[in-house]
This record gives sequence, C-alpha cells and structure tokens, in this order.
Amino acid sequence: MTETTDSLPLPGSLVETTPRRRSSWGWLRTLWRSKPAVLGLSFLLLLVIGALFAPAIAPYDPNAQDFEFLEAPSLAHLLGTDDLGRDLFSRIVFGARISLFVGVSTVLLSSVIGVFLGLLAGYYGGWIDNIIMRYIDLQWAFPNFIIAVYLVAVFGTGLENVIIAVTLAFLDDFARVVRGMVLSIREREYVLSARALGASDARILWRHILPNATAPVIVQATVSVSYAILAEAGLSFLGLGVKPSTPTWGLILSDSRTFISRGWWLAVFPGLAITLTVLSINFLGDALRDIFDVREYEQEEGGH
Amino acid sequence: MFQRLDKQMRKKVREMLRWAYDFDPKDPLFGLKKEELRGPRMSRRAVLRLMAAAGILTMTDVLAACTAPAPPTAGEEAGQAPAPQEAARPGGELRAGWAGTGEIRTLDPAQINQVLQFQITSNVLGGLTHINPDLVAEGDLAVDWEPSDDGLEWTFHLREGVTFHNGDPFSADDVIFTFNRSKDPEQSIHSRVLANMEEIQKIDDLTIKIILAKPQASLLVKTLERSSGRAMTIVNKRALEEMGTEQYGLTPVGTGPFKVVEHQLGQGVVLERFEDYYDPERPKLDKVTIIPIPEPEPLAAAIEAGDIQLIGGNAPAAELIDRFESNPDLVVSQITGPGFQALWLNPHREPYVVPDFNKPVEELKKEPGFMVRLAIAKAIDREDLIKRALFGRGQPAFGTINPAMRFFFDTGINDTSEQRFDLAEAQRLLADGGYPNGEGFPPLKLMVTPAGKREGEILVDILKKNLNIEVELDIKDFPVMIDLFDSMDYDMLRIGSGGDYDPDDALVDWMQTSSKFNGPNRPEDMPFGYFSDAEVDELVEMERVETNLDKRKELVQRANAITSNKVAAAFLFHPLDILVYRKEVNYPAVSRIPGLVDLDRTTIEG
Amino acid sequence: MTRYLIRRTISAVIVIWAVATLVFFMLRAVPGDPFRAMLADVDPQAADELRRKFGLDRPMYIQYFLWMGRMAQGDLGNSIYGSNVSVSRIIAEAFPRTLSLAGLAFVISLILAISAGIVSAVRKNSALDHAFTFFAFLGLSMPDFWLGILLIIVFAVNLQWLPAIGYVPLSKGFWPWFSHLILPAIAAGTPFSAIVARMTRSAMLEVLNSEYIKVARAKGLTEQSIVFRHALKNALIPVVTVMGIAFALLMSGAVIVENVFAIKGLGRVLIQGILNRDYPVVQGAILVVAVIFVFTNLLVDVLYTVIDPRIRYEG
Repeated sequence: MTETTDSLPLPGSLVETTPRRRSSWGWLRTLWRSKPAVLGLSFLLLLVIGALFAPAIAPYDPNAQDFEFLEAPSLAHLLGTDDLGRDLFSRIVFGARISLFVGVSTVLLSSVIGVFLGLLAGYYGGWIDNIIMRYIDLQWAFPNFIIAVYLVAVFGTGLENVIIAVTLAFLDDFARVVRGMVLSIREREYVLSARALGASDARILWRHILPNATAPVIVQATVSVSYAILAEAGLSFLGLGVKPSTPTWGLILSDSRTFISRGWWLAVFPGLAITLTVLSINFLGDALRDIFDVREYEQEEGGH
Repeated sequence: MFQRLDKQMRKKVREMLRWAYDFDPKDPLFGLKKEELRGPRMSRRAVLRLMAAAGILTMTDVLAACTAPAPPTAGEEAGQAPAPQEAARPGGELRAGWAGTGEIRTLDPAQINQVLQFQITSNVLGGLTHINPDLVAEGDLAVDWEPSDDGLEWTFHLREGVTFHNGDPFSADDVIFTFNRSKDPEQSIHSRVLANMEEIQKIDDLTIKIILAKPQASLLVKTLERSSGRAMTIVNKRALEEMGTEQYGLTPVGTGPFKVVEHQLGQGVVLERFEDYYDPERPKLDKVTIIPIPEPEPLAAAIEAGDIQLIGGNAPAAELIDRFESNPDLVVSQITGPGFQALWLNPHREPYVVPDFNKPVEELKKEPGFMVRLAIAKAIDREDLIKRALFGRGQPAFGTINPAMRFFFDTGINDTSEQRFDLAEAQRLLADGGYPNGEGFPPLKLMVTPAGKREGEILVDILKKNLNIEVELDIKDFPVMIDLFDSMDYDMLRIGSGGDYDPDDALVDWMQTSSKFNGPNRPEDMPFGYFSDAEVDELVEMERVETNLDKRKELVQRANAITSNKVAAAFLFHPLDILVYRKEVNYPAVSRIPGLVDLDRTTIEG
Repeated sequence: MTRYLIRRTISAVIVIWAVATLVFFMLRAVPGDPFRAMLADVDPQAADELRRKFGLDRPMYIQYFLWMGRMAQGDLGNSIYGSNVSVSRIIAEAFPRTLSLAGLAFVISLILAISAGIVSAVRKNSALDHAFTFFAFLGLSMPDFWLGILLIIVFAVNLQWLPAIGYVPLSKGFWPWFSHLILPAIAAGTPFSAIVARMTRSAMLEVLNSEYIKVARAKGLTEQSIVFRHALKNALIPVVTVMGIAFALLMSGAVIVENVFAIKGLGRVLIQGILNRDYPVVQGAILVVAVIFVFTNLLVDVLYTVIDPRIRYEG
C-alpha cells in the first residue's frame, strides 16, 4: 500500500503546450472504448448513487439491532443480518459513504497540498526544494500504510484523524510527481518566454506549469484513491479506524471476523464491496494511464 | 430449596451444616486431623469444613454432599464429570492456545500483572498456599499453619523434601528471600500487597513465622496464594542471580509440577514434566506447549483443526462458545467466574450529578441527578444484555461481590436491589429527573476498550430503545481508558474486574472512598471519585479484620447492598469462567479452579 | 561509485536519525499512561515509582539526550510491560519471523509474477494474458487481510491441509516452517506479485518490440532464445527499480497479515506497542523498520547500476 506511482510507468515528459479542449474530449472517447474502464465507471457510478441516496436505498437503519442474529441472506435481508441483528445490506450501503468519502477527501487534500509542495520545490529550487525534499525523503523511508498506522496512533481514532493520517501519508507521492514534472519543464522555452515577458511566478505556475502536471496528477490520484480506500479498511480492521458506531467496510469485516464460520455472508460481502470498488478504480486508472501514455508516444513520434 | 426436602434429608443437612461450622475459627486445621487435610483425596466432611472455614459453603454444596456419593466437585455448573484417571495413559504432549495475548511477556511473579500469566506460573512455581476449586486455601509448600490468639502471628510448617527445578532444596530461606524481593518496590510491582506483613522470621529450616501489623482475613486466600497472590510466589535465589531478571522472567525456576524448558517471546512457552516434584503422582503430562493466540478467529480455527487441544489465557470471545459447544470434538466447561462488569456513571457530570452520597436512598431519590442515575441502572435488562452480548453466558450483577465467592454472595440481591430491571419505573424516573422520553438528554459518550466494543454497541442500543437517549460509543485502548477512569474524565465507562476470590478484592479495591480504583488521579477540587459513602467505608474496614464468618458475611452483604442501591455503578453481569478443550483431554474437576488452568492432573489420550 | 556510496550512506543515517527524533517526540504527545494500564489490577501509586525508574518523570529534552546516548551504543531500552525484557530482544526474536514471511512471500510472488508476466507478454491478448491481467488487478484490489481470512477458512478450517496460524522457526524443519508460512506469504505477497507481473509484462512488450529484437528475429533465432537470452535480461531492469517499492508493499502487507495469522513479527510488535503505549518498543520497531527501508532503497539503487551498466552515479 505504498508508493505506487513509481511502480507503474508514468509519463516522464508530456506535451509542451497547454492541453486543448479537443484532447480532453479525446481521452473520454478513448476511455469509452476500454471495456474494463466502462465497467469500473458504471460500478463506481452505482456506488456513488448508492452512497448519496443511502437513506432511501437502504431498507433499514444500518445501526438498528432489530432482527435475529446471523440470518442468512433472504428477500427480507438481501445480504443477511450480522451478529447484532443488523441488516448487512443497509450497513454496506451506508459503508460506501465512508469508504468513498475517505478515499476522495484524502486524495483531494493530499493532492492539493502535495501539488503545492511539488510546485514550490520544483520551481524555486534552492533551500525551499531542499527542505521539502528532505521531508519527503523522510516519508519515503516508510510505506504509506505504516505511516498512517503510526499517525492514527498519535492523533487517535475517528473519521477526521483517519483522514488526516491518510492524507499526510500519501502527500509525498504527489509532491514527488509534480516536482519531477516541474523540473523537466521549467527551463522550457515557453516558460522562459513567459518569464521574460514579465509574468509573475504565480501566473507562470498557474497558467503554464500546472496544466502540464494535470495528467500525471490525475493518474496518481486514481491510484491513490484505491490505496486510500484499502488503507482505511486496513486501519479499521486493526481497530485504528473511524468511529466504532459508523458502519465501514473494514470495520464490518473486522467486527464479524469471529462469526464468519457461522455466517459466510459476513466475510464475503464487505470484502467483496471493497474489492469491487478498488478494482473498478484500478480499471479506470489503468485506462487513464494508457491514454496518457499513448498521447506521449504519439507526440514523441510526431516530433522525430 | 430447603423446604422441599423430606424430613430425613433436612435432618441430615442440618447435621452436616452444624458439623461443618463446628470449629474454632482460629484453629489452623479447622478441627480436622492432619490426615484429613492431606492430599490427594480429602473426605467429604473435610472439604465441607474447609469450605465453611473459607466462608464459601452454600446449601448447594451441603446438599450435594448429602445426596451424591462422590465428594463435591468444582462449581455447580462444572460441565463434564471427570473421566476416570486410569482411562488415560499418563504422558504425552498437550498443546494449549493462550487467548487474548500475542506473547507471554513475563513469568516473573514480581512483574506479573495479568491472569493469563499467573495461569502459567501456577503450573511452574509454588507458594505457601493454593486455592482449590471452591476457593479454599490449601497447603502447597506449607503443610500446615497456626495463627496466634490475636491473629497477628502465623506459624507455617513447610513441606519437607521439596526441590527447585535446578536441584536446590526448598527451605525457609527461600520464603524470606521471596518476601524481601517482593517487598522492594524497585524489584516487584506487588510490594504494596505486603504492606500489612511486617516481617518473616525463620524458626528453623522448615518453620517460619509471619508477623502482621493488623489481622487480615484474606491472608491465606490472597496474600500467600501461589498464583493469584503473586507477591509470595516462591522464586529461586540462585537462578535469579545466575540468569538475571530478564531471563528469569522468561524461564523462571520454581518448585512447581512443570519446568520451563523453552520460552521465546511471541512464540510460546514449552513446559516439561518436573521429575522431582513433591507429589510423585503428578504431573501426568510429559510436555505442555503454550502458544499465545490473540485473535479469536485463528484461535477457533486452531482448536477446531486440532492444532491446539486446550484454550487458556483470557476467556475466548463469547460468540465462539456456541460454535465450540456444537462441535462434538470439543468440551466446553463453564463455572461461575470470579469477577464483575459495570457501567460507571460519572457522578460529577450532568445529567446524573450526585454531589453527596451520604444520605438515605429515599432522600437521594428526590434529587434529579440521582433519578437519572437510577433510571439508567434500572433500564438495563441484564438478561437481555447477557443474551445478546454473552450469548447467555453470564449472571446478572448488582454489586461487586461475585457468585464465585458463594458464601458472601447475596443470591437475593436480584430482587432487592434498587437497580433491578423495571422499564416503566426507569422511564418515570428519567421523566422526573427532567428528561421525559429522553427529550433534551445531553449527548454522552460511553467509553469501552476495543474488546468491549460489541457489548458497548448493545448497551447503546438498549439505552436508545428503553429510554430513548442517544449515547455515542468511544473506543479507547486500555491504557488510555484506565488513565481517564482514574482521573474521572469520562461520562460513562465500562470496566470491571476478574480474579476476585475474596470480598476484599471486590470491596477494598473498588468500593471505599480510598479504593485504588476510585478516581485516584481525580482533579483536586473533586471531593471523591465515582462513589463515596461513609457507611460503606466503615463496614468494609470492619469486614477486613472480622474473623467470624457469619459476621463478616453480614458486613460484606450490607456494604454490597448499599453500593448497589446508591448506584455506585450500574452493575451489569458476572462473567462465566469458560474452559474449552478437545475431547481427548481429561481435565479433572479438582483442577477446575475459577480463573486458573492447572494442568498437573490433566491427561491426554493418544 | 565509492563516493556515491559514502554519500548515500551518510544521508541514510541522517534520515534514520530524523525518523528516530520525530518518533520520540510525537510518541510523547500521545494520550494514555502505560504505567497505569500495566498496574491496573495492582496499584496506581506504584505507577509513579515505575515512571521514575524509567526516567519518564524527567524533562523531555533530557529524556531525549539520554535515549540518543543509549541508542548510539545500540541499547534500545526495556519494554515498559514486563519491564525486564529488552526491546532489542523483542525485536531480535520478532525480526526473523517477519523476514521469513517477507522472504518467502518475495520469492514465491517473484517466481509466479515473472512467469505470468512473460507468458502475458509473449502471448499478448491471448486468453491466458487476459486471465493473468484480471488476476493481477484482482490481487491489487483485494484487501490482504480479507484474502488471509478466506485462505484460513478454505485451507485450514475446511480442507485442513495447512495450519491456521502461528509460526515455526526454520530450525524445526523445512516443512513445519513452510506449512505455517505459505498462507500468510500468499496473502502478503499477492499485491506485490500483481505489480511485478504487470511490470514484467509491459517491460517485456517494450523490449520485444525494440529494434534489436527485431534484428534477432530477422537472424532467425528461436523465439525461446529471444525471450530468455535477450529480452528477459533487459526487461528485468525496470522490474528491479520497483523492487524497493514492492518490498515496502510487502512489509506493510506483513503488518496486517501477521495480525490475521497470529505471527508475532515486527508488524505485530509495532501494532501492540502502539496500542499499549509501550514507547520503547514502538521507538525500537519504527527505527528498525526505517533502517530496513532506507537500506533496501540504497541496495536497490546499487543493484540497478550492476544490472544496467549504462547507469553511473556521480559522486
């Protein structure tokens, strides 16, 4: 659960112009042609709808201990009931909220902060770069998941703390990607000319450099969402997750661990929910990566 | 029960009872002959007398003694009758899983702080006394003893011909060495247990005299006990010097039936039969391997697959027990457990503030804070909680005195306590306390440990359903929770006790204003911790030194009833003591001591 | 190269020192008193005496310097729980278990992953390729603890082929060691092998499409010798670069998997240390983990130059 960026082939250098509108529609079309990506997207869409309208979709209150313990799946309880007599389907639907929320919010936060740090480090260099890079190196020495475990232990459990911990743990990935990106383009002609024309640093970063970083950041973000969801599940599983009364997939799995031989559905469905979600995101991420790679190769070949 | 017996039986019971209690409490042998006290098997009458002396004799035992041909065995619920010893071939290896821990960090009695640790040392180390299944102290390294008339001087005669695992002979010097080591706070965490013990004098190699500052009713059952006592568990001087304390903590040398031959942290402990044990009949097994298994699921898988044959350590998770019972390969033995669990309601926090408990209950019941307190205690249907949280494996609790203490336990408290379940009354009290149907009830947090989570969720659900109040679960690791408990920094908190063999464990430790758990680190402006009642304080001081059993029982029960009626806490349940083993294991009833896993008489087939 | 190595080693030591310092001060911000927890059923006041014994009553900067001084001599202190056990001992006993687990997982996943990657690349778009690709994605997406639970249910409880839990050292024989470790190794190694398989596949594809392989084909070399003699060697270079990252992945997998299979390795030591607020143990475990990662990364970089002679590090 860690620095996946480098494990997957990422574009080293990209197009030299800011992307045009046409190309962004272009990659959506390409995306549409990838069957796994479409499948993944559909599942994610379903999941988002489920999470947004959970109260309407879930047949019961996810925390109400109103039913018989450990009832096998039936029409009344689509996925059965758990050891406290709660409806598993309702819990999993509500669980989607937490998983998606943690996944998306941590990645939003860590990408914003990470991109900012990466831009600063790459663009200004010198002591700023030095300080930021030393910190990132420090984090680099550890797998993200172990950092998250440690930070939750320090901050305490709970939704906010899990988000903070996972955000901090994933920060370095974004900073690294963006810094490398900036280093490779800050001496490019159009950047130099913009500077010569008296554009402010902020403007250069915003208008000329940042757009080039979008593609790798998007790919990184997709990968990170899947890892953040797994990280949250792992933390919950170790008892270091969000609030105990909140149904999350990792927690459902962890809580029902002792009951799995009496109710297979307790082990299978929450695990399946995590796996399918992460799988969908990975399909999507893979398609996106292919698309960006393809563009890069086309560009290079055209330049030869 | 007594009324339903026929005349002849009643007479028999009465005679038996009269005989059982017909001894001078100061008599070390309780009016019995030495031969009657010696192992391996005691007469029915001797056992009853000992139980009476320890204050744990109940009508059930007497009845059992009058009707059953066999001597009374472990607790009334003891699952399986012991298989005849001859059926099993002595020898063999037993592999035991130790639940609830990842490693046995120490076996040095001076450092032990968990039941699952002294369960092991009980098989390896010796002490002057050892409790039996009825919680009576029997001689272990002491063969007999006699107190002086004022109860301040106790003379102990030590067993002859006992040797340590390393060949050293056991003598009075070892007792004194252990005493000096345990009394030193630098070396032992139990130094305060010996606060009342002024000194130990050596009379000769096999005779010692213990000098107490005040009489102490719990001396034999608690302080000198070989396993749960810990302060006077005999250690070997030479081994300690040769190994150093670190290694000694892993492979301690003692006089017990088994010796530690291997101990790797996290890997487990390997015990082997000690050939020169003072009882040549014991132990039966050649080898015992103890493997720590912290997670419930792997534990269950291991015993079902036969990787291990017995589960020791902490109680296996309640939810596993049904599963074990339905497995024909496994034996589940359940007896009354020596402990209690309670829901603590901080009396310094809204909405159940009680500034002063020193009033009659009727008076307190007019205060809104107390009404809410009582409402919560009364709204908890213990039977329902036990059914859902423990799958029926527990007994309702209304005080800290547990049913394993038998003689001291008030069986009527279920019907007499103010805390007894009454939903309509609870709802009325809550309304009168200012929160009709839970309206306006402040958001409270209930603190539990990760292991107590499932039960916490059920409590939250019960309070929501019965009183319509919202309580949020707050899970804290044990170190954090105990810290907040001590500093009275919580709304509601679920904690309790295990290994309480003597009323002192329940009352002195928990219910006095100066009790060690009663908010010792509270803010200075807080006059008391979770509970303070002058009458209870006094009653407990009296029972501590009371050697007349009936009088002590009365004092204990009165104190216990006050703590219950004034809602020192909302008491929840007394857990059962559950031992699980595979059917090829013969675990005799004489070894079935609550909280312990003594393996010296255990055998295994094939 | 030597200058590079020296420079990298110095910076590695600095990183380790920084980690140690950060861990030291952050841990002391954690709420909860370990001594109270430990003496819960004994005596609250005795906790003060113990705290004094461990020097936790002194100012923090003094604790820090004392600790640094001891650490420089290789003394990691004693565990707070069962206070006579040294942290070095706990770690020394836990480490071989984690190493066994990670090592076995590493070897098994590497063999499976590289074979799968080669087959996928050579038989691009075949049914086999699609299957491997799907399993790689699945492996990356399945929580390792879930996989562990499923493996226990199937192989230990239902089929009873393998033990459910625990660890047996290699000194007790190969099979006992192997049979206890194979399930956890699979659970911990799956995400790792998924990444390596994907990596091998794309690297192989790239090499197989390169000019010199086309030349080799034109020369009439057999497909077998092309794949194994020429393509594989070059394709492994990018695979080696992810080794460090993949190893990190494996280690974090081990943290959770050790908890599922009740193996008292470094991961369990760490998690238990955190839950118990056992400062010295957490400090020690984190430090050891840091050392492992910093030097793995260093090793990978050095390995890289050995495999790919085109790369030269400048001092």
